Amino acid sequence: MTVFDPLRDQLLEAAAEFAGGPGDLDGILAGMVTDVDRALREPLEIFPVCHHSPASALAMARRLREKRPHVIYLELCEDLRPLLDELRNCRLPVAVQAFASDVDGFPPDWSPLSVVAPITEASAEYQAIAYALDTPGVELVCVDRSTDHVFQWSPRGSSAADADADADAEEDAEGKDLHGDAVGVEIGDLRPRFSQLEAYLLHHGKVRHWSEWWDQYVEQPLASADADYETYRQVMVLIGSLFRRLAPGDPSRVTVDEDRERFMWTRMRQHLAASGADASQALYVCGAFHAASYVPEFGLAGSDWEISPRTGTRWLYGLIPSSHSAIEAQFGLASGSVSIAAATWAKAVTRTGVKPFQLQGQAGTRKRAVVKATVAPPVAVAEPVTDKLTKFLASPPRLDGIDEAELLGWSVEIVRLARRHGYLSSTADAIAVFETSILLAGMRNRARPTPYDFADAAVTCIEKDTVPGRRDIRRLCEIMLGGDRIGQVGYNALPPLARDVYDRLQPLGVNVEARTIQRALLDLKAQPELGPCSDLLWVLRRLMPPDVVRPIMGERTLGRKSIQESWDLAIGRSQRYLIELGYEGVTVEQVLEQRLRREVWTPTATAAAALAAVEDSLLYLRSRRFTDELGARAVELLAAERTVDEAPEVLQRIRRLLAYYRSGERGGLPAWCEDFVRTGYAHYCTLLPTAFVEDESGVRQVAAMLGFLFGMENLALSLGCDRAQLEIAVQQSHPESPAKVALLWAAHHQLGLLPIARLRERVDELLGNPMVLPAMPQYISGFLQALVPVPSLTSFVVEILSKAFAQLPDPVLLPWLPQLITTLKDQAPELVPVLVREAGRTFPGTLAALDTWTPPWSPAEAAPTTSATGPRAGGPMAELLVGHPDATDAVAALLGVTGSWSALGTDGTDDIGSPVADLIGRHPDTAEAVADLLSV
Amino acid sequence: MTENLLRAPAEVKYAEELDYLESIDTGAKPFTWRLSPRMVRMFVLGSERADGIDRQIPQKWFGDRSFVERAIVTLASDRGLLLIGDPGTGKSWLAELLAAAICRNSTLVVQGTAGTTEDHIKYSWNVAMVIARGQSRDSLIPSPIMTAMEQGVVGRFEELTRSTSDVQDALISILSEKYVSIPELDDDNIVFAKPGFSIIATANSRDRGVNDLSSALKRRFNFVRIPVVTNKASEAEIVRFRTVELLKRHQIELDVPPTLLDILLQSFADLRTAAASATSDDEKLESALSTAEQIGVLEDAILHSQFFGDAQLRAHTLAGSLVGSLARRSPEDLAILNKYWHGVVEPRSKADGGEWPEFLAGGREAIATLS
Repeated sequence: MTVFDPLRDQLLEAAAEFAGGPGDLDGILAGMVTDVDRALREPLEIFPVCHHSPASALAMARRLREKRPHVIYLELCEDLRPLLDELRNCRLPVAVQAFASDVDGFPPDWSPLSVVAPITEASAEYQAIAYALDTPGVELVCVDRSTDHVFQWSPRGSSAADADADADAEEDAEGKDLHGDAVGVEIGDLRPRFSQLEAYLLHHGKVRHWSEWWDQYVEQPLASADADYETYRQVMVLIGSLFRRLAPGDPSRVTVDEDRERFMWTRMRQHLAASGADASQALYVCGAFHAASYVPEFGLAGSDWEISPRTGTRWLYGLIPSSHSAIEAQFGLASGSVSIAAATWAKAVTRTGVKPFQLQGQAGTRKRAVVKATVAPPVAVAEPVTDKLTKFLASPPRLDGIDEAELLGWSVEIVRLARRHGYLSSTADAIAVFETSILLAGMRNRARPTPYDFADAAVTCIEKDTVPGRRDIRRLCEIMLGGDRIGQVGYNALPPLARDVYDRLQPLGVNVEARTIQRALLDLKAQPELGPCSDLLWVLRRLMPPDVVRPIMGERTLGRKSIQESWDLAIGRSQRYLIELGYEGVTVEQVLEQRLRREVWTPTATAAAALAAVEDSLLYLRSRRFTDELGARAVELLAAERTVDEAPEVLQRIRRLLAYYRSGERGGLPAWCEDFVRTGYAHYCTLLPTAFVEDESGVRQVAAMLGFLFGMENLALSLGCDRAQLEIAVQQSHPESPAKVALLWAAHHQLGLLPIARLRERVDELLGNPMVLPAMPQYISGFLQALVPVPSLTSFVVEILSKAFAQLPDPVLLPWLPQLITTLKDQAPELVPVLVREAGRTFPGTLAALDTWTPPWSPAEAAPTTSATGPRAGGPMAELLVGHPDATDAVAALLGVTGSWSALGTDGTDDIGSPVADLIGRHPDTAEAVADLLSV
Repeated sequence: MTENLLRAPAEVKYAEELDYLESIDTGAKPFTWRLSPRMVRMFVLGSERADGIDRQIPQKWFGDRSFVERAIVTLASDRGLLLIGDPGTGKSWLAELLAAAICRNSTLVVQGTAGTTEDHIKYSWNVAMVIARGQSRDSLIPSPIMTAMEQGVVGRFEELTRSTSDVQDALISILSEKYVSIPELDDDNIVFAKPGFSIIATANSRDRGVNDLSSALKRRFNFVRIPVVTNKASEAEIVRFRTVELLKRHQIELDVPPTLLDILLQSFADLRTAAASATSDDEKLESALSTAEQIGVLEDAILHSQFFGDAQLRAHTLAGSLVGSLARRSPEDLAILNKYWHGVVEPRSKADGGEWPEFLAGGREAIATLS
């Protein structure tokens, strides 16, 4: 016989009447009463809470003042406990985070693992934490499963992030993505687990969101000044039990919930046994859902349960900033509901006169006179349980009366805000909003308009056909009714890396904690002491998302250093990234070093990536030893590569690095560079014949290989490579695609196997042959790529491009043009400047000159330059050679050239007949003036 | 009375229901309203078991409850109500229901067109009578709005944005001063609005920019935006509700198989998705693809099967009606429908079977005929 028996009988009668006979309903109703009965009879006092519930917080504050317990057990991951001490250094809301990037025992694709538990000020758990931490002699014990178990218990096969309740995709507000893709855990999750029940409750409550329903039917009756603690407890357990019994939801979720309960009760029993604490002086704070548990391990008398060991994953812990909107987005709450809860809490505190607990020195709050709580002397007997439920359930919901002053304030404020955002709203609108709110609330069976009624009214009266500014009325209402509150982690609670960054940015004189974007100006010439700051900023830019630290002016590339820099810093609002960097190391340099090393040593690393890492190391770390290590790895990677896909990037990077090492006083080429060139030369020689033939390797790749071979040739030969290897490789290449054929011809030309005249002949033949004409564009593309390895062909490429435009028929030419343009666009830095310069030299500069212009490659003009004898020479050099012909004759004989010596100009100068002499003869003034000047 | 009318106004059609609601209404009624706001809501949105009344009130307008609540509340305040939305979203139907529920008169309607003049809003004169007896209240022809003012009931203004700005602005003084003066008369020359007078206007959001409302007029209206119904369940409900009504009106006994209704809803949903992802006007159908359009298609198909078919609604006919109703521009609309038929309907008919193959054939035929 318990005190709840009459209620149980009453409910069973109701069940019999409505369900028309014994069935599930009486089981559920009777079970609910049993749950309440059991939870209340438990010697360890259970305090059921609901998340973001001001009523819970209020009841908690009252109960703590009254009972002053010695031990508080909290439903929070047990390994997060040490972080709670740091809360006082932060501006709430913040989230305690556990993070692991090296996973052991979980599927590797879950990495990185991250769990966040947000903590707001208007919550029961904060009251408990504040009381426990600031009252001497009180112990705070987190008893929920560790973060490791969160993942151990989440179903394999799905990614860990899927376990997350409702990650809202909408991320328009800045605060919403503060939690990243972490899995959220929360104290006191209480919500119907099946959507029909929720929809039904919302429909009949005439409310739109769950939070609104909760506020109206549970929160307000419980928060009213006369609702006592017993009623609160019984009602909360009853609701938890209702949701649990009516529809437990997804079976895997139920299993996890039950395991958590087993875990918590086992931990509490263990703690009580180990510490010898008095169970009657303890308080167990858990979600109402768990208070109504019926696992056999429930209660101090429950059976023990074996807790599975943690995996080998190494967890790192920290605090990250959170925000109301991030919490709403993560836990699928109505937008604005957490803010409204915070506002309700503040109002309830003033109205009821309850003194809430607050951590001493809590950042970002007004100083309250701290009321020192002390631990209560042990009280032997607990007061007997009485049935408060019957009265509560029987009475209609007590609704708040209208708070006219509050509503008027809102109406005036929303009109003011709307006007500021471009709406043409006036006092008349304020009156209309006020009136409409009351009418709407009346239609929805309540006297006091809820914030949601008010928002509806404001939208009706102020919103017209267009939104004039960035925000519409609904959003403005949300902002007005609490707005988003974004937390901040205080300096002392930051990981060492973040503190180090803050310290090192001090000389800049900007407020890095500010939530707005800060502009930092660095005049490195006038203030060379800012150099280290600049270095740090560049490293941060390399490590963090692009808009956190953004250079406006200044650049850092190999061999270049800015004199002045200007930066946009958003570190204050992106604290999470900095804190998560802190999990990787102690300084940013260390993190960068680790990341570079990881990039280079992953199995999928490529030579190009390794060279990029070398470049980063030179730019940001300046450690010769580390750079050399990365370089050596690049050599290894290159030698092991079997494809040439990244040849263009390798070429570009190694060229830049060689130029960097050769310039200035950098002690010449490091050993790894020489190694790289030597290895690359041999490597690319080996791959060249296959690359020429294989379809997988594109023209650009082959061109880059040739570019490497020809461009580094001098260096490679000086390092002991053999040119014959290259010659043989080229000889072995027999490409089939026209573009590669053209490339091969260019290579032949570079090697001296194919003179330009012969090359021109071949191209002309192609242009003259109607059968190959359609393939002509491909040849030209090949020649374009050949500009990289054989720059001396530039004039020839201009020539064939001109010929192509002149001679190719439109059906061939036009389809090719887009491809030409995209090629030139993609490779603009390498190809366009040389082509344009050469074209500028070849073509006339004015339109008028075009009429009389003949291309330099046309046969008529080409003749004089290819005269057999060449120009007649004169001057001291010619005199010397003519005077002592033996050496020249010997060289000629050696080369197999036969020729004869021509007579030297009579006066040792150029021929009179030459154009230059002719010009000077006709216009002697300049020459005479020069002669005068030189006193000749 | 209803059987002699092609289309009875809501207050006539639902007269009995309104009488019943009035008889059980105990709530406070604003001004001269016949029903309290909660009863108006129940009339429009239907009753539930939890309301505890002893007969079922069917739902007549389908949409979010808050729209109706906001509309009712606006009419109880001193502002006009402007329902704005895409064509076919049920704005006029909602306006009619509200007027019928509040004052049992939904026929005081001014239709906004390019040719609407100020006389249509205020008053005009019976010229013959003026010549015979001079200007007096007897020779005055009041507009529907003026009549509504005199009687203290709700006046309606359809397609407000179709009429020119100067005509629209005639409403400003009516909405703020709540009287119309008749300067032609020496005495009795002001018509004051009685309590309960209000205006429900509708505007088509596709007409935006044709005759924009002045900000003075905007200020006097509360805007309630009615979105296109995209929820498939409620859309099916609307189509079913309206079809039953149509069949009754045409006195046709014909069954609409649920599978065909599904096909219709699915095709509209598909075409809407396609229209949403189109980048230019040429890539989307000219039709707004509203629920009203679906009802139109279904009605067309029903009538066709009744008079030219075997009195059975078939997928073939439905496809023909769909193509016929949606292909307005040639070749753009036809090209889109052709693409839809071959890209979506064909694979679906292979995968799902059922009525889809017949639907596919009918659509193909219709497209071929029109092309």
